[in-house]
Amino acid sequence: MHQIESQIRPRLIHGDKSITDVSNDICRPIENKPTNAWRLGFGISVLFLALLAGTLFWTTWTGIGVWHLNNTVMWGWDITNFVFWVGIGHAGTLISAILLLFRQKWRMSINRSAEAMTIFAVMCAAVFPLFHMGRIWVGMYWVLPLPNAFGSLWVNFNSPLLWDVFAITTYFTVSLLFWYLGMIPDIATVRDRAKSKSRKFWYGFFSMGWNGSARSWHRYEIVSLILAGISTPLVLSVHTIVSMDFATSVVPGWHTTIFPPYFVAGAIFSGFGMVLTLLVIARKVMNYEDYITIGHLEAMAKVVMLTGTLVGIAYLTEFFIAAYSGVVYEQYAFINRATGPYWWAYATMMSCNLLAPQVFWFKWCRTTPWFLFVMSIIVNIGMWFERFVIIVTSLHREYLPSRWAMYVPSWVEVAIFLGTFGLFFTCFFLFAKYLPVINMSEVKSILKSRE
Amino acid sequence: MTNNKQYWKGEEDLVRDPSFIQASKNEFSEGLPLEEVLNESDFELSSNRRDFLKMFGFSVSAVALAACNKAPVRNAIPYLIKPDDVTPGVPNYYSSTCGITGMPIEVKTREGRPIKIDGNPRVKALKGGFSVAGQAAVYDLYDNERLKKPLRAGKESNWAEVDKDISKILNNLSAAGEKIALVSNTINSPSTLSAINDFKTKFESVEHIQYDPISYSGIIEANRMTFGQAVIPSYHFDKADVIVSFNADFLDTWLLGETFSVDYVSRRTPGDDMSKHIQFESALSLTGSNADVRYPMQTKNEGMLLVSLYNELAQLNGVNQLPVVGQADVAGQGVKKTAAILNKAKGKSLVVCGSNNPKNQGIVNAINSLLGNYTSTININNPIKRYAGSDAQIQSFAKDLAAGAYAGVIFYGSNPVFDTPYGDSIAKGLKNKIKLSVSSCSNLDETGKLCQFVAPDNHFLESWNDYQPLGNLFTLGQPTISPVFDTRQMQVSLLTWAGNIGEYNTNTLADRGIYGEKQSSAPYYNYIKSKWAVDDKTFNTYLHDGYVQKEDIPATAPSFIANAVDMAASIEAESKQNKEGIELTFIEKTGIAAGKMANNPLVQELPDPISKVTWHNYIAMAKANAEKLGIKDNTVVNVTIGKDKFAIPAIIQPGQANGTASIHLGYGRKVAGKVGKGRGVNGFASINGGEFTNYTVQGAKIEATGEEYKLARTQTHHHIEGRDIIRETTLDAYKKDKKAGNRYEKPQVVSLWYEHDYQKDGAPNHLWGMAIDMNKCTGCSACIVSCSVENNVPVVGEVEVRRRREMHWLRIDRYYTFNNVNNVDYKDAVSEVNLVATSADFEGDKITKEKALKAIDHVESQSTDPTYAHYENVSVVHQPMLCQHCGSAPCETVCPVLATTHSTEGLNQMTYNRCIGTKYCGNNCPYKVRRFNWFRYNDNAQFDFHFSNDLGKMVINPDVTVRTRGVMEKCSFCVQRIQSAKLSAKREGRKLEDGDVKTACQRACPADAIVFGDLHDKNSEVRQLFQNERAYSVLEELNVKPSIRYMTKVRNV
Repeated sequence: MHQIESQIRPRLIHGDKSITDVSNDICRPIENKPTNAWRLGFGISVLFLALLAGTLFWTTWTGIGVWHLNNTVMWGWDITNFVFWVGIGHAGTLISAILLLFRQKWRMSINRSAEAMTIFAVMCAAVFPLFHMGRIWVGMYWVLPLPNAFGSLWVNFNSPLLWDVFAITTYFTVSLLFWYLGMIPDIATVRDRAKSKSRKFWYGFFSMGWNGSARSWHRYEIVSLILAGISTPLVLSVHTIVSMDFATSVVPGWHTTIFPPYFVAGAIFSGFGMVLTLLVIARKVMNYEDYITIGHLEAMAKVVMLTGTLVGIAYLTEFFIAAYSGVVYEQYAFINRATGPYWWAYATMMSCNLLAPQVFWFKWCRTTPWFLFVMSIIVNIGMWFERFVIIVTSLHREYLPSRWAMYVPSWVEVAIFLGTFGLFFTCFFLFAKYLPVINMSEVKSILKSRE
Repeated sequence: MTNNKQYWKGEEDLVRDPSFIQASKNEFSEGLPLEEVLNESDFELSSNRRDFLKMFGFSVSAVALAACNKAPVRNAIPYLIKPDDVTPGVPNYYSSTCGITGMPIEVKTREGRPIKIDGNPRVKALKGGFSVAGQAAVYDLYDNERLKKPLRAGKESNWAEVDKDISKILNNLSAAGEKIALVSNTINSPSTLSAINDFKTKFESVEHIQYDPISYSGIIEANRMTFGQAVIPSYHFDKADVIVSFNADFLDTWLLGETFSVDYVSRRTPGDDMSKHIQFESALSLTGSNADVRYPMQTKNEGMLLVSLYNELAQLNGVNQLPVVGQADVAGQGVKKTAAILNKAKGKSLVVCGSNNPKNQGIVNAINSLLGNYTSTININNPIKRYAGSDAQIQSFAKDLAAGAYAGVIFYGSNPVFDTPYGDSIAKGLKNKIKLSVSSCSNLDETGKLCQFVAPDNHFLESWNDYQPLGNLFTLGQPTISPVFDTRQMQVSLLTWAGNIGEYNTNTLADRGIYGEKQSSAPYYNYIKSKWAVDDKTFNTYLHDGYVQKEDIPATAPSFIANAVDMAASIEAESKQNKEGIELTFIEKTGIAAGKMANNPLVQELPDPISKVTWHNYIAMAKANAEKLGIKDNTVVNVTIGKDKFAIPAIIQPGQANGTASIHLGYGRKVAGKVGKGRGVNGFASINGGEFTNYTVQGAKIEATGEEYKLARTQTHHHIEGRDIIRETTLDAYKKDKKAGNRYEKPQVVSLWYEHDYQKDGAPNHLWGMAIDMNKCTGCSACIVSCSVENNVPVVGEVEVRRRREMHWLRIDRYYTFNNVNNVDYKDAVSEVNLVATSADFEGDKITKEKALKAIDHVESQSTDPTYAHYENVSVVHQPMLCQHCGSAPCETVCPVLATTHSTEGLNQMTYNRCIGTKYCGNNCPYKVRRFNWFRYNDNAQFDFHFSNDLGKMVINPDVTVRTRGVMEKCSFCVQRIQSAKLSAKREGRKLEDGDVKTACQRACPADAIVFGDLHDKNSEVRQLFQNERAYSVLEELNVKPSIRYMTKVRNV
């Protein structure tokens, strides 16, 4: 594909790279032995993964009573974490699909890792709705509309939880396909450079006989566009449906029509936060500073500021609508958020999500990697608290004051959450070691030196 | 050697006909007649042998694979010889009498197992009222920690040896004329008293000592002093227009609380007939929580306030006043106002007092005499026989025992080491020089542990007995199961030791058939029958009914013979002894029966009706005192009373009078089963004994320790936050406008959902609904226990309750409201908050939320009074809350697997098998009545509260699924009862009638506050109540269309 690049525009890829340089740079971690830093990071991640496995086993074996949920607050850290992880995934899809459709070339060096992040985040998210079920051993397949011999006993299409099942499985499938398909030419490159037999076999297997012919590229481009087209509505639909888990209920603080756009904005906000966290480290550790440039980071910082402000407006709108509604329960739910026993969670959410991103009005803040890293962590903390605030502070003081209760997580719940980070980073480390983290073929198309 | 001979089977074989060869390849040349066999109609079977073998092989291997799963062996053993009156699956009901509360009961048995106890509705005098302890007692029967055999020197023995030893020692002691004591609580069983008499005849040195842990000897003494009759008269709360109570918790623990509740509630329907109830008390009791007007007072002032009341009345009636200095009164001139109200209701009023001080009770008698109540509301001729214990007797017994004056002692159903103030001296006496000590405890207790012999008594459901609760009423107790363990009813033991059981021991084949190797109760049946001296047929009628009502004994006014002036003088003298410190009262708690029921998991897990604390006792403190001492909820405090010192967690109890505190009795059992042992503190040890036990201690020092003990409470927020959940009004307003307090504009609602039509074959189906009258509900909590027993609701234990995971399907929400703030009557402001209002305020002016919120702010801003007078003086509302079976249920729409659905009869039903436990339904329930099985509560060593072991499982109601872990559960409107009533009606070929279905909570409610029935039945009571002006639904504005309506609370203020 011939690309025409304006000579006036700043380069997207720095360092005056040649096509060979790109292949060499990107394939280097795959072909070299793992570094000590990788070994250490991977080792720690696997430890946390083991913690996840252990605590999930303990939960399933003993009963979810080992979590400290109660008969008033029946969802706590579990669903908070679920929404948190699903939200994170959204940035990957946004970057790869929507920016592809809008022909945003700068996405090319980050979309691969962002998509990987999506897939791993959805995997982490899936842990929670699965294991929060009292009877996971039947719940795992009873929620699917499978034909059965029980007559009319089927799934309930009125339930947002069922929509969730469809939304998440669709999202995971499409994201995985999109990611894998986009990787085929690069896997073929690795295959072609491979020296050992097993490498040749495995990369050969996964490159599905890619031969780089014009016809292959043509098909590849078309399928990419189609998948991007399918993914685009998913960016909006998945978190919309997740938000309906709350919005369709009668719980004051959940029952609001603003939730879908508010959740989607929040998801993109937290997703970009997470992409920033990963890439600021990755570009440093893997020496990809020429590919993932300050320009990329700055663009993402702008998105973070925009979506953070959107989310902030949603917070304020909620308050206004609660006051305006004249419904005592609704009003109290919001007063309780800000001033009740969980006020600190609310304060954290507000300062991290609405106030903190405003620093990105300043260019220094947008272009300083270490500062961006700190900000990205703040954003993710803020977004985690947003979900906690929505779920727990709404439930713990609902309609009848006699049932008001407090909820404090048990160590098992905390360990499971930490464990999902183990799962996430184990996957990410494996990805960074065995797959090209930057889309070589696409990056090659935007090199200035090609001309 | 070769054999060339050719063998052939027949002609065809020899000529090798091709068609024959073809046919011979087919094994079944004529085809299998399978088709004929199977093809009765149009069944086509075209499979050949290979297909058959394939299918056969598949089936066999499938069966084999399925069989690989090792299924637990469950034995269902049929009757070898089926008893005539037992049909598996059909319950039998027996009349009997509860051994704990002495109330007549109806026992439900399934396949020989008693599984539920309810009040006997036929006994008119006691109105079928029934309480927590009685409901829960069925669990005790299946307690696997009960003594399984008699004990000798702490080791298991057998009856023959124990009997031999005890008889021998008794004979020796009796021959030597050494003193033997038989210590029991009050025995109101004529036949038991007769058995004791027989025992005393045989062993002349036996002395029978009766005492009661919660003593009423003050009342008995007062009646002896004032009227010359040492009895407790019967009280008739249904005949009283005005009820005034001083510290008497007559709806709960005082005397016949169950019966009094029924009587009381019968006059609480709003209207001209509604009684007025004024309560003076220090601790907020269940009774106080129902009072129309409640005056907090310190118990030490009780006597002087009674004297004041007498004097006020004397003045109004022109009688001589009692000479005391000054006129004591509570804040707001409560005594003066009360006197005026009482005086208007002369002869139709009732003053009761919970004190055990005969002088205070004497003044109460004087007041009632002055008011002429002895011919109407009090009947001294038909006394209450349930309590006759003497404090003086047990006091001198304890002293003499410690001094070694007794050579032998037999404890019959009593545990004085625990439940008297003399525990230490009795324990000391038992440890020294005693020649014989026997206890009849069925669970090893503090006293039994110190005895040489334990002759374990049967559970009352295994025993024959009779009782005399009132002068003219006798009830019978019959066994509904043969003894579970090798225990023997104590009367039989006494008669055996006395050597005269032989004549009653018919030893018939039938007896042996029932009892096998175990000790038989049959002789005692014969004994009772011989004492009753009626023919078999009459006796069987009595047994069937469960009671014998003799003719009414009319009330007559006794003449007042005491010197009230002396009593007043003595009260005045006592009131002057002032001690620094806090006044601490030890009070009885619902259900726990002063420790007798402490080992019952249902009772332990039942939230206290007022504080909602479970599993532990605590010191309830007034806000003003607690604030000063730096005490908050759950702070552990050190309480010092003289030399006695103990640590106990505290709560701040609204309604507790300033300067006072209270602690529940019955906790702190040291020797008990796993349920009761070591929970809380034993208050009996700190009580001042004496001729009349005084349960109030003056001058207690209380200091915070800085430690915390988190009490397991089922309700931690007590403010209603101005929400339209409770609707109440005053009687005056109600008389003017029947919709007073309930005048709300119904919100304009549009439903997204299709209406259920509740039709069946074009005709209206049943539509179940429930009406709960908040004026009748006293909060007694019997419904909670009844529901738990009926529906196999698990007990989860203190730790789980602390985590807010109690499983009760029905709870009673309790809210406090302030009556006044800073002594200013803020009724207007508060009324809006609590939606108490006169209709005039709301004619054409609907309540707005803004107004209500403003009113709250007002009250809150006024709440800075350092004396917290408003905290002392609160009103209380009890609201039973259970699944509302919403017509548009929020839980139903959110379940992804349709595990909770709507029935064609309006029930919101749970399909436990289908539930996967997402818990969304629980989150989306506005009433928060759904309960999740966080663990496997029914079969888990961690939750081993009787119900979880093999024996304990016997109490499980076979009609109700036992839920596994990971599923949601909730009230089902007792669907099993609905189904069984429908089946009965169908079998009898009739329509279901109103009242055929009674839910477990409804059946248990002594106050008839719960009415259940078919809303499509035009004549049903519940339908009438739904159309009542007082009816409203909680959270109506959500448009979830609840099937439960509440009746506005009307206070006669």
